[in-house]
Amino acid sequence: MFRHPWAPYAFIAPAFIGLFVFRFIPIGLSGFGSFFSENLRGDMVFVGLKNYAELMDDPSFWNTMRVTLIFNLIINPFQICCALALAMLVRRPSKFIDVFRLGFIMPMTVSIALTSIIWSILLDPTLGPVNGLLRWGGFQSQPFFRSEHQALETLILVATWKGAGYWMIFLLSGLLAIPKEIDDSALIDGATGIRKFISITLPLMKRPLAFVLVADTAANFLLFAPVYIITNGGPNGATQLLMFEAYQAAFAYINHGRSMAISTIILVVVLLIAMFELRLFIPAEEEQS
Amino acid sequence: MTISRRNLIKSSALGSLALAMPNIVRAQQTTLKVVWMGWPDNQVLPLMAEFEKRNPTIKLALERMPFQQIFQALEIRLNARNGDPDIFIVDSPLTASYASRGHLMELDSIIDKKRFAPSGIAAASFDGKIYSAPFGSSMQVLYYNKDMFKAAGVTPPSADPASRWTWEQLVEAGKKMAKPAENIWGFTFEQQERPYQLLPMGQSLGGTALSPDGFKASSYIDGPAFVEGFTFMQKMYTESKISPPGQFDTALTPELFGAGKCAMMVAGTFVFDTLKTKFPNLDFGVAPHPYFAKGKPVTPTGAWHFGVNARTQQKAAASQFVTDMLSDDMNVLWYKLRPYVPTLNAVWEKEASSFTSDLWKIAKYDVQNTAVPRPATPGFREYEDIVRVALRDIQSGANAQQILTAAAQKIDREIAKYKG
Repeated sequence: MFRHPWAPYAFIAPAFIGLFVFRFIPIGLSGFGSFFSENLRGDMVFVGLKNYAELMDDPSFWNTMRVTLIFNLIINPFQICCALALAMLVRRPSKFIDVFRLGFIMPMTVSIALTSIIWSILLDPTLGPVNGLLRWGGFQSQPFFRSEHQALETLILVATWKGAGYWMIFLLSGLLAIPKEIDDSALIDGATGIRKFISITLPLMKRPLAFVLVADTAANFLLFAPVYIITNGGPNGATQLLMFEAYQAAFAYINHGRSMAISTIILVVVLLIAMFELRLFIPAEEEQS
Repeated sequence: MTISRRNLIKSSALGSLALAMPNIVRAQQTTLKVVWMGWPDNQVLPLMAEFEKRNPTIKLALERMPFQQIFQALEIRLNARNGDPDIFIVDSPLTASYASRGHLMELDSIIDKKRFAPSGIAAASFDGKIYSAPFGSSMQVLYYNKDMFKAAGVTPPSADPASRWTWEQLVEAGKKMAKPAENIWGFTFEQQERPYQLLPMGQSLGGTALSPDGFKASSYIDGPAFVEGFTFMQKMYTESKISPPGQFDTALTPELFGAGKCAMMVAGTFVFDTLKTKFPNLDFGVAPHPYFAKGKPVTPTGAWHFGVNARTQQKAAASQFVTDMLSDDMNVLWYKLRPYVPTLNAVWEKEASSFTSDLWKIAKYDVQNTAVPRPATPGFREYEDIVRVALRDIQSGANAQQILTAAAQKIDREIAKYKG
């Protein structure tokens, strides 16, 4: 097919080089570096598993793990349900379809840093307009990011506001790929509404859903900007996510070995969860067919 | 015309000279990379312009960063361990931290100790040598809105340090003027989460913030004095509700006071000029920093220094910067631009007329009698960051003892690496 035998490799080479330089090499350096500790003068000293042992003994690290897992357990299904609902809403042409599509994609155009700053101003308990609106409507002001009982939930909502539109696009393409004939035969057979959704739409969406789930999980495990900009891990550790803990270890405590150990742990956890999610959606037997 | 060999040599020589000219000129002109605090334009730019005027061959590549980010940003730059930046701002307690990690150049040969206040030189030293240049100290006073006091019928505090208000008196007065539902407040700290601002709450009750050797926080920062002091601070937000919670941006709190939304504010002497220029219609007075009735008056102090990167490629130009900035008239200029408490003795003499106001009488008294600097430790970066997060959590209502004990353990763990 190709004139030269190395032609196909040449085509995929740029992507692979990028993957190597920006993913595999840093992962390797990080994993390797997690076995070292930096002394005052900047020299790296081999310390074996000391960084990991310290993490296991640290109650604040376990709190971070717990908060991160709870956060992901809630936000991943929630975000994907929102994205799927939005995709189904904008699938069929309707009067305001363009307005809706624009509205859902707009959050994508704003960077996560800017999103965090804007929402932290909007949700400020004292000076923010959201509480102003609530008070005007006769409701009580909410502490949002200032309360340890509301902070994580508020963070989930802000992250979903930003992310749902993005994932909606993938699910929308999945929905639009369902052949019209299947919809028509479902109609003839009398399957409508929820029955049609469960028995026909969802099974045909398995692969897009699997992709979105895994990609969204990875993205949410690595969530950093809103924590850094708005909550700093607080109040009282309520929003202390793993990525922020890694940042703190490197730049607040100047403990690079610890930071790399945390990054390696994040990588392992995300890999395990991703493998589990893929198995859930695409069982081994199906893949072989 | 044929190109003779002579012509060829002549023209190539001229050509290379023309190409090299910009580089020759640039070589005679050095550029110093300076990282400075993000103080307002009108306070920093005239100072830097004056230096460039006196030193035409030195250009300053000035970078200013906001308070919230500058320390961590500097960590990233300094950890690269090259000559960037050449000059950087040093919060005085960080001198030991930077010096112990090899980030600062020794300045003994350029600085004459006798010209400065002993506390300034002490804050600039580590291991017996001077590593940072003292550039002003600080003092906090209580600002109050005269109109709001009059409207509520409350007698304002006196400017006499002998009749200093207690924290208890302040809360009582604040309650009479605060209307949280309308976003009107009784009192705010300028820096709601910074140890610089809040350690005196515990120190006023007799607490010590860190062990004398600078390596142990447990049983110091989590002792009963700080638990009591910080719980009192917490109640200003959660119980008496005289303070606006969550205002951690140090640029916003003076705005709240200036806009008449807050009756009282504890802030630095340097805020005086900001208020006068930005809010000319504000009728405000100054009083001494409050204290606990059963304790002793303690005021925060601490200084902005600046240092030279130990690995700078422009040693001569950097030394010139230090010498010029510490000269009598540059220091007076700096004092006029941003009125910090002077550490250079000459400024007290040259500007004696300006030190007669209420503000400066209070500042001078407190600097000499009640000021307690932040703890000296090479691990100050870590100490400050951990305590800052703890203070945030306490402000939002968490149990002070639990938070402080956890913080102390974290500090001990992180400072241990400096024991060598």
